[in-house]
Amino acid sequence: MRRALLEPYQHQRSAIHRLLAAVKVGGALAFVLAIVLLPRAAWTAYAAGATLLLLLAWLSRIPPAALARRLLLVEPFALGVALLSLLQPNGLMIFAAALTKSTLCLFCMVLLSSTTRFSALLRVLWRIRVPSLLVTTLALMHRYLFVLVDEAGRMTRARRSRTFSRDRASAWRSSASVIAHLFVRSSERAERIYAAMCARGWKT
Amino acid sequence: MNALEVRALGYRYPDGTAALRDVTFAVAEGERVGLIGPNGAGKSTLLLHLNGLLPEHPAPVAAVHVFGTPVAEPHLTTIRARVGLLFQDPDDQIFCPTVWEDVAFGPQQLGLGDAALATRVARALDQVGLKGFDERLPHHLSRGEKRRVCLAGLLACEARLLALDEPTGDLDPRGRRELKGLLDSLPVAQVIATHDLELVVESCPRVIVLDRGRVVAQGPTAELLRDEKLMLAHGLERPHILRHRHPH
Amino acid sequence: MKTAVATGALATAGLGLALAGVRRTVPPRRIPLIGLAAAFVFAAQMLNFPVAGGTSGHLIGAVLASVLLGPSAAVLVMSAVLILQCLMFADGGVTALGANVFNMALVASVVGHGAYRLLRRLVGEGLRARLFATAFAAWCSTVAAAISCAGQLALSGTVPLQVALPAMGGIHMLIGLGEAVITTLVVAAVARVRPELLLEEAGARRQPRYGELAARGVLVALGLASFVAPFASGWPDGLEEVAATFGFEHLTPAAPVLHAPLPDYRFPGVRSAAHSTVIAGMAGTLVAFGLAWWLATLLTPRRGADAGPGGKGEVPRAPRAA
Repeated sequence: MRRALLEPYQHQRSAIHRLLAAVKVGGALAFVLAIVLLPRAAWTAYAAGATLLLLLAWLSRIPPAALARRLLLVEPFALGVALLSLLQPNGLMIFAAALTKSTLCLFCMVLLSSTTRFSALLRVLWRIRVPSLLVTTLALMHRYLFVLVDEAGRMTRARRSRTFSRDRASAWRSSASVIAHLFVRSSERAERIYAAMCARGWKT
Repeated sequence: MNALEVRALGYRYPDGTAALRDVTFAVAEGERVGLIGPNGAGKSTLLLHLNGLLPEHPAPVAAVHVFGTPVAEPHLTTIRARVGLLFQDPDDQIFCPTVWEDVAFGPQQLGLGDAALATRVARALDQVGLKGFDERLPHHLSRGEKRRVCLAGLLACEARLLALDEPTGDLDPRGRRELKGLLDSLPVAQVIATHDLELVVESCPRVIVLDRGRVVAQGPTAELLRDEKLMLAHGLERPHILRHRHPH
Repeated sequence: MKTAVATGALATAGLGLALAGVRRTVPPRRIPLIGLAAAFVFAAQMLNFPVAGGTSGHLIGAVLASVLLGPSAAVLVMSAVLILQCLMFADGGVTALGANVFNMALVASVVGHGAYRLLRRLVGEGLRARLFATAFAAWCSTVAAAISCAGQLALSGTVPLQVALPAMGGIHMLIGLGEAVITTLVVAAVARVRPELLLEEAGARRQPRYGELAARGVLVALGLASFVAPFASGWPDGLEEVAATFGFEHLTPAAPVLHAPLPDYRFPGVRSAAHSTVIAGMAGTLVAFGLAWWLATLLTPRRGADAGPGGKGEVPRAPRAA
């Protein structure tokens, strides 16, 4: 996930990358909606959808291994709950359909997020009049995510180098303590950010 | 008219401890002044008064004047455009998703139109040597680059007085050199709060020594920083650059 | 498909309410905190809490956010986290977003906050009371979110309720224990380091808008009821409708990779599966209740005991330099 945060592929140039963010988002939503609305056994339609996605993936020139890796990352969980659906009279078909649909939707979102910069996504949200509070929250969250993950990493390493017991209880206490301090530092940083925003004329 | 005039400024923290006591000094237009002192002296607190972020509740008489205007309502908007405050941690100051957006933040708040905005941002980025960095993400930048982005943000507002809090802190030697060169090239008045005594000697003809909230000395840099007794008494020391007698 | 639309609509309404609530109750200087808190929850969700063998649990954070920031901000924070996970990490298709937001951001936060307030009112002041309320509320919120999800699965025809409810409910009763422990540990640590950051200081001053609380409660109740009610009277056979597909990746932060076998809820002597589910549910709740109480007692420093830097490996906070 760290790698995804760094946005390794979003800055490439390809036919897909160059499309307007709005077009990509709209297209992705339309695709996902279409998949969801399809009846369960629409196998031809699923195949068509899959072909379309594969074509777009090829056009985007993102290494297929990277795409596959991201897809695999979340697939086990879709599988897990889809498995529950097997315990039904019509189970196998539902299971297959559920799995196919989620894979297709996932792949679509993976493509979207790999070819679009987050700041562009935010601009699209802004333009379609998503409330500014939500957009600001998303923007700040994305901006400071890496900073906080780094801080958390440093604190965890520091604590690990000071604990000598390997039992679970101390591991839990250590992680909880890291989270607590992370919150405290985030609070303090938020105050400083507010000051920085005011210093440059932010009017509330 | 002085760029900055501070007269008998005092400040107490919410818990009552005195942070600043009777601070008085002035900075002329285009002048560069160093602000030095031990940790806890009140340097950062002082800087926060220069654009009105402190005090939380306005005093009856404004102790700080910037280009003749008192730092108080209703002038705060103009003050904050004229005074560019560089925070200690650049991550606190770059809060927008991309470099371009962050540099554009200040001018946007000032109400600039799209065309003027684009010009300002381009010019500011050029000035700090970051041309072409528009779409870069903040967490991809080095510390030195982040500092320069922050400076660009201030320049985009056409600040005429820069208040810099530890600008060379945690920079590697090259980053430090680049930043120092950049600061040297800017013709605006500067107040540089720093531990980097070499920077002060090389860049600031005048220096103010702050300790426990009071101005304990102010005057020509070389003279004050050579005074070993003074330096040691206030948690500082004579910088190496002044230790050798022979010219370079 | 109907389910997706319904959950999407409810989620949007809930989020809208939360936004309005934040705008009303959060002062401007704390607005950046919400964005930072979202990043914080995201980062915190990545920390490991080892369970057994190589598996580990993770924090969800809905109740933590509620206790630290208030219910409206918590809903906003959790929604932001889920939206980012969906948009940037494809951690759940867009259709699932409505359901995820509903379950985890709305249900978990609101139920958690409600349980927290209710318990605080019952057990009163003091750190132990607060920790107990936190622990049990965290457990409740996890289970409530699971029930909501089970209802959605059933309504969409993907998984029948008599399977989904015990499965999801059962697993999440266990996960809820983890969430309770983690959340309480964190709140206890914050109380030790910076007690003034806990919400009560801010919450005490503001008058709860009962209208808003009621609206949110109604929203959640409606959602839960509409999903579960149709099945209360027995299981209708052969649902013939277009099924919505849900990605279930929202379980990622919550579920340790425990491949728990489908819990067998048959108590000896009890015939009906439904009855045994209910009994098991009640038993689980009592266990959680007791554990929460025990945990709170454990984490509250005894009067006069040294709760300083030596305890729990904490480093004393360095004084702030001016």
